[in-house]
Amino acid sequence: MRIEYMLVLVCIVIGPLLLSRDKKLKLYAHPTALAKTIGIVCAPFWVWDVVATARQHWWFNESYVLGPRLLGMPIEEWLFFVVLSFVSIFTWESTKYFLRRQR
Amino acid sequence: MKEYTIAAVAAALLVAFLDRKLRTRVLRQSAFWIFLAVMYAFKLLANGYLTWRPIVTYNSEFFLGVRVFTIPVEDFIYGFSLIALSVILWEYFKVQKPRARR
Repeated sequence: MRIEYMLVLVCIVIGPLLLSRDKKLKLYAHPTALAKTIGIVCAPFWVWDVVATARQHWWFNESYVLGPRLLGMPIEEWLFFVVLSFVSIFTWESTKYFLRRQR
Repeated sequence: MKEYTIAAVAAALLVAFLDRKLRTRVLRQSAFWIFLAVMYAFKLLANGYLTWRPIVTYNSEFFLGVRVFTIPVEDFIYGFSLIALSVILWEYFKVQKPRARR
């Protein structure tokens, strides 16, 4: 299925996205910090990925991506870093929340 | 040359250096390593699926060839740098605006 990579991304992000509005996490109390972080994380990883993909460090199976590519990379791969930086921040805040509550 | 191996290790070192430079001290907190273990657990599923299918295939010329299930070990170092950088910058930018803190 050409939608598979996109489905993997959706599976990764759906839980954190739905739970991220929980006030206890205060994730959206710092919208600028959130946007800046995601943007600054994506930039170097996009560059790395474009270069690595061009040098054929890895390649993406045509059968599992939707099709559109930018600089040789499927759109799913571009989105990957937005998703992962967001999920990292969410999981980090959740971990700290649960550790605080345990004490 | 094992370019992916070298790049992954370099990225991890750079991120550790940044944590010192920005004085965020994320890597010194035990909470970070617990959080990383949680991320790795989910990573085994997602990254495992991507490499097992495979949705993404790695060129044996550029990595060591050591894998955890189907995942190249380099992916864990790469993952560390991506995950740690996100948290370090988040902690850094969050305190830049004390107004928003409780």
